[in-house]
Amino acid sequence: MSVSASVDLKLDWDIQEDPVKLVPFEERITKGELVEPDDWMPHNYRVGMLRMAEHHANSEIVGALPEGEWITRAPTLRRKLALIAKVQDEVGHGQMLYRVSQDLGKPRDQMLRDLITGKTKYHNVFNYPAPTWADVVMIQWLVDGAAIMNQATLADGSYGPYVRTMKRINMEEAFHFKSGEDMVLTMMSGTPKQKQMAQEAFDRWWAPCLMFFGPLDKESVKTSPFMRWRIKTATNDDLRQRFVDRFAPAALDLGLKIHITVKDQDGMVTEKREDTEIRRNEKTGYWHFSQPDWNEFHRVVKGNGPLNKKRVALRRFSYEQGQWVRRAIVGGSDLPPLC
Amino acid sequence: MDKLPNELKQPLVELLLSVADDKFILGHRNADWTGLAPILEEDIAFSSLSQDEISHAIAIYQIAAGLVGSTADKLAYARKPDEYLCAELVELSDEFNWAIAVCRNFFCDHHDYLRLGRLAHSSYVPLAQLAGRLVAEEQIHVQHVDMLLKRLGHGDTESRERMQSALDRLAPLATGLLEPTQGIELLEAKGVYPRIEPAMFERWTEDLRHVAEASELKLQLQAPRAEAIGGRRGRHSDAFASLLDELTEVYRLEPEAAW
Repeated sequence: MSVSASVDLKLDWDIQEDPVKLVPFEERITKGELVEPDDWMPHNYRVGMLRMAEHHANSEIVGALPEGEWITRAPTLRRKLALIAKVQDEVGHGQMLYRVSQDLGKPRDQMLRDLITGKTKYHNVFNYPAPTWADVVMIQWLVDGAAIMNQATLADGSYGPYVRTMKRINMEEAFHFKSGEDMVLTMMSGTPKQKQMAQEAFDRWWAPCLMFFGPLDKESVKTSPFMRWRIKTATNDDLRQRFVDRFAPAALDLGLKIHITVKDQDGMVTEKREDTEIRRNEKTGYWHFSQPDWNEFHRVVKGNGPLNKKRVALRRFSYEQGQWVRRAIVGGSDLPPLC
Repeated sequence: MDKLPNELKQPLVELLLSVADDKFILGHRNADWTGLAPILEEDIAFSSLSQDEISHAIAIYQIAAGLVGSTADKLAYARKPDEYLCAELVELSDEFNWAIAVCRNFFCDHHDYLRLGRLAHSSYVPLAQLAGRLVAEEQIHVQHVDMLLKRLGHGDTESRERMQSALDRLAPLATGLLEPTQGIELLEAKGVYPRIEPAMFERWTEDLRHVAEASELKLQLQAPRAEAIGGRRGRHSDAFASLLDELTEVYRLEPEAAW
């Protein structure tokens, strides 16, 4: 199927796909073959893949914002250069993923429109504030660490363009993570003030990172064949456990404490106590941990997180101020004016 | 020469700081667009340009730091506002007006290209070697900004008007780039900063006018008044103090700490 703006982009589970096509398609996926843009694919595969790639692209360009705010204030020349390059990478990931999504049938301008009008979403984790430089450090260490865990499994998916893009993105993310590791190590070997900044930022980001992988498996909807089609290849709980197994001991080694926190509506910690569940199960090798506040998760997903409105407003501002440039350089949009 | 005679040291430090400060502050301002530029592909390009500017600044700060016994980071983060020697053009906020951002780069990149070209022929060998490398990158900046100017000048009525208005607004400030640093005549006479013919202002305006005309834009530039005193003597706009406050906000929390 060629690229067309007329593709109906809604999931429809009443569709009866032609078994003559569906059966060999599923066999190919079982064998680990990759699906390419011109291959036949079930309608819901196309839409599911598009939704995932588009959500991912949105997350990259919204994810550029919390760190982007700190470029002007980066404390050394080297960190400043590295941060510009890092945020640039995120924008680059967004660009690649929008191209993957465009091939699946949705024009880029429509995707940017849907993002700024709230029709489509981006990753929840970017609705939290980054009030200090140490938050930049924690984003590059913890959030990028979580992203790598998630994306490593996505690189094992079935849609060729997305898988190849994911491999490239993961190489760059590994670099960001190294930079994050270097920064967190520097701060935790620094002055008491730097250590305190790092701890406070860690307290802000630990729970959002646990939520990063999505709701508990027992609560997440499992009606779709996305696992069978290898659009998704690992469950939320598996990924969350892998994250804790990697980062809980690393944090403790650095001298950070893992806290259970209560936050105000701006995402700032108002109460905290040590998470006494944190320990390694010697039999299984897995780490125990306390679940984050899932009510907060649902609140933020519904658009009521600390910075949902601000993030979308800034993307909208960027979209609007650049309209005249896009009109002049890439031609006008077919879409009606924004209201 | 590999070693700099003493009497040239102070003039050269001032010249180097003027070049590096222009680049550092321009890169700092341009990075405001990282993540927010009008087109994703241009966002990525603009971030690369910012990184180039800051990398150039670091390399030049390092030479200056060697001459004054400091470090690139200290020169970038720990001077008083009146010790910075950048031109006013790079200080001002573009207020997220892409036309201003592009036109500012247009003036600065063409100027830097000429300035680095002169330094690439410097009699001071370490500087000539460095500038030779930097000018090759600067040429890419010039090509990129010329392309943007042409695309937007030829785009549609709105883009042409916006670009014309930005050029008109910045032109009077842009000539501040040519304000001489103190002792520059000595550097010129000794070949540390070789003169060019025709002179800087004529060459620069000629280059700019050529591109502006090809972009269907008009450009009026007045030669700078010899007695005008500005950024090259440490006199800055009101915007500069707050720019520096922001730039050094984290650094000042613990100036002696590693970050």
